Amino acid sequence: MKLAQYVLQRFATYLAVLFIGLTITFFLPRFMPGDPINNYISQIQARAGQTLSPEAVEQIRNSLAELYGLKGNLFTQYVGFLNRVILHFDFGPSFTNYPEKVSTILLRALPYTVGLLLTTTALSWIIGNLIGLVAGYYNKRAGATVLELLGIVLYPIPYYILAISVLIVLAFWLQIFPISPTFLPGEFTWEKFKQILYNSILPALTLVLAGFGWNILSMKSLAVSTKEEPFVQFARLKGVPNWNRMTGYVFRNALLPQVTALILSLGTIFNGALLTEMIFSYPGVGLLMRTAAGAGDYNLLYGSITLSIIAVATAAFILDLIYPLFDPRIRLGR
Amino acid sequence: MIKLENIEATYTTVRGRVKAVEGVSLEIPYSIILGIAGESGCGKTTLMKVIYGDTGFPLELTKGSVDYGFENDRGQPVTSRNIQREWFRNISYVPQSSMSSLNPVTRIRDQFTDFPATYGRKREVLESVREYVQELGLPPESIDAYPHQLSGGMQQRIMVALATFFHPQIILADEPTTALDVVVQKDILILLMRLQRMMRNTIIFVSHDMGVHYQITHKMMIMYAAKTVEYANTDDIFKNPLHPYTLMLTSSLPTIGDERARTGLPGRPPSLWDPPQGCRFAMRCPLATAHCHEVEPQLLEHLPGRFSACHRVDAIPELAAKVWRGPKLSELANDQDKLIAQVESALRADETEGAAAAAALKEEVE
Ligand SMILES: Nc1ncnc2c1ncn2[C@@H]1O[C@H](COP(=O)(O)OP(=O)(O)O)[C@@H](O)[C@H]1O
Ligand code: SF4
Ligand SMILES: [Mg+2]
Repeated sequence: MKLAQYVLQRFATYLAVLFIGLTITFFLPRFMPGDPINNYISQIQARAGQTLSPEAVEQIRNSLAELYGLKGNLFTQYVGFLNRVILHFDFGPSFTNYPEKVSTILLRALPYTVGLLLTTTALSWIIGNLIGLVAGYYNKRAGATVLELLGIVLYPIPYYILAISVLIVLAFWLQIFPISPTFLPGEFTWEKFKQILYNSILPALTLVLAGFGWNILSMKSLAVSTKEEPFVQFARLKGVPNWNRMTGYVFRNALLPQVTALILSLGTIFNGALLTEMIFSYPGVGLLMRTAAGAGDYNLLYGSITLSIIAVATAAFILDLIYPLFDPRIRLGR
Repeated sequence: MIKLENIEATYTTVRGRVKAVEGVSLEIPYSIILGIAGESGCGKTTLMKVIYGDTGFPLELTKGSVDYGFENDRGQPVTSRNIQREWFRNISYVPQSSMSSLNPVTRIRDQFTDFPATYGRKREVLESVREYVQELGLPPESIDAYPHQLSGGMQQRIMVALATFFHPQIILADEPTTALDVVVQKDILILLMRLQRMMRNTIIFVSHDMGVHYQITHKMMIMYAAKTVEYANTDDIFKNPLHPYTLMLTSSLPTIGDERARTGLPGRPPSLWDPPQGCRFAMRCPLATAHCHEVEPQLLEHLPGRFSACHRVDAIPELAAKVWRGPKLSELANDQDKLIAQVESALRADETEGAAAAAALKEEVE
């Protein structure tokens, strides 16, 4: 059957992309100057004030190599790495939070990032595209220009300026939201959920606003060109009413590139989260990456990078799977 | 009878206003195929838009009106003011670009049921659509397909099916076959002719291919620089034209699909931005006199049913004797019966081809 064949083909591509991505993650740091273990030992020595004996150092070196999968030749290391990462999602312990496991730390941060970014990306995509559609479809009317203006104003503002402005107005000045959020540890209760929600509004608002500009402007220009297409003009001459033409003809066709953009942007949510989580001290994967990079916590860094690779590859895979639902021309592979 | 009265249609552009149709008056009897011919840019498409009632910005009907000669369901006479409510019920339209006139992301069947004439009776309509496309030589499954699954010829057939499904009084076809290859072109023309004979509707047909006009139209209107220069029965247009421009258009007859028709005439028509004072054809006319350059000729009925806008109608036979390089009128299928025989055989071929295509489609569409 054609469908099964299609899915299988895409799945094979997905696995191949993942495999290549993971392989690069494995080899790249090994070809870079600097040895993470030496690095770490000098950190310990700095803290311990030069009191470690050479034997103690050698011992630490050995156990670290064991712990971090740096034993044996490159091939053994590679197989071990694949085995740990793919089968057990295990990146070893964190350097900075020793002995907590990297995977535990990642899984704790993941829901924050995913929740925040999924919600805001979806919201800004849906609302932005609807605004853009109306702005584009009625582009000759004054009201549409006002809608488009929203996109024109928002689009060029750099994210950090937008985020800091929102922070200043709503947290410093009006004091509606906290400057830095507090997230209580412990059981997941209704109270805790409300608290997370409340603390997430500010970063979410900046992300939605930041996503608006691009969504509005690109949908607007797509709608403007699509509505001049012969099939939309013909629908008009058939007497198809405005609403049906805007939704069934213009939107359905202009949607295709926008869906692509949406899914691909979902793949990069961890990178997208970096700045937001730093500015708002939001405990997600972005903040972890930044801490890991700053503290030389290699395992945590590999863990987050691997997670990013999985996210991007998965997004592309999902896109491949759902695209035919939107575009029948792809459905039959012609 | 459809009456066009002193039609003037103006485009508003950044450069200013330009009259793309000017002073066109015409009485079109029902149940004929009327051909409109003329060089590119002479206003054929604009006139079609006016007749269809599609006069939104930048186009405007600045003078005159069309009286369609029938009443709407409220008992009011249908004119340019209210023709829009008759779209695809009493007046329909076959676009030039069938390949890009169907919504690529929805099935054909949904495009038969998404306009006002079909609201509330989808299922019933689809049943008859299925039967109808079969009559037009398409497999009934073709309406379950997406446009890209059909060939160009099949898509144009679907367009013809759309335009004729509600048995409209009037069908407009603006270069309906220009985008198709020669063989398919002929099939579509044959189909249009056959349907017109069955339904007795009025087809207004634009083409710059004079061979096509000769084969399928009953009457012809020749346009030049936004105006009518001749209006007569097709036979007279080809055999005894009453205007030098018509003579030049028909003097080297191309066959269907021949590109020469577009480039065959020396010189270029005047700019519509700054039309000349007298006869608009004077610059290119071998019979032009000083009078022609000063006074504009009116469209007059020089012989019964034969209208021409020329000061020197009497001199045309003499010119014809010189210019006429033996038109291949007889080489064309000038015999209507012969054409109909083609119609029939093409349809029989459709049915066998249709069966094969149906089998192939059945597998894919699901
Ligand atoms: N949308 C438009 N805006 C401005 N001018 C137009 C437009 N469409 C056509 N015209 C002008 O009107 C004239 C007639 O065009 P058209 O009716 O398309 O001619 P034809 O169909 O005979 O080739 C041309 O000179 C063209 O430049
Ligand atoms: S009026 Fe004069 S210029 Fe115009 S077509 Fe007739 S003869 Fe030629
Ligand atoms: Mg045209």
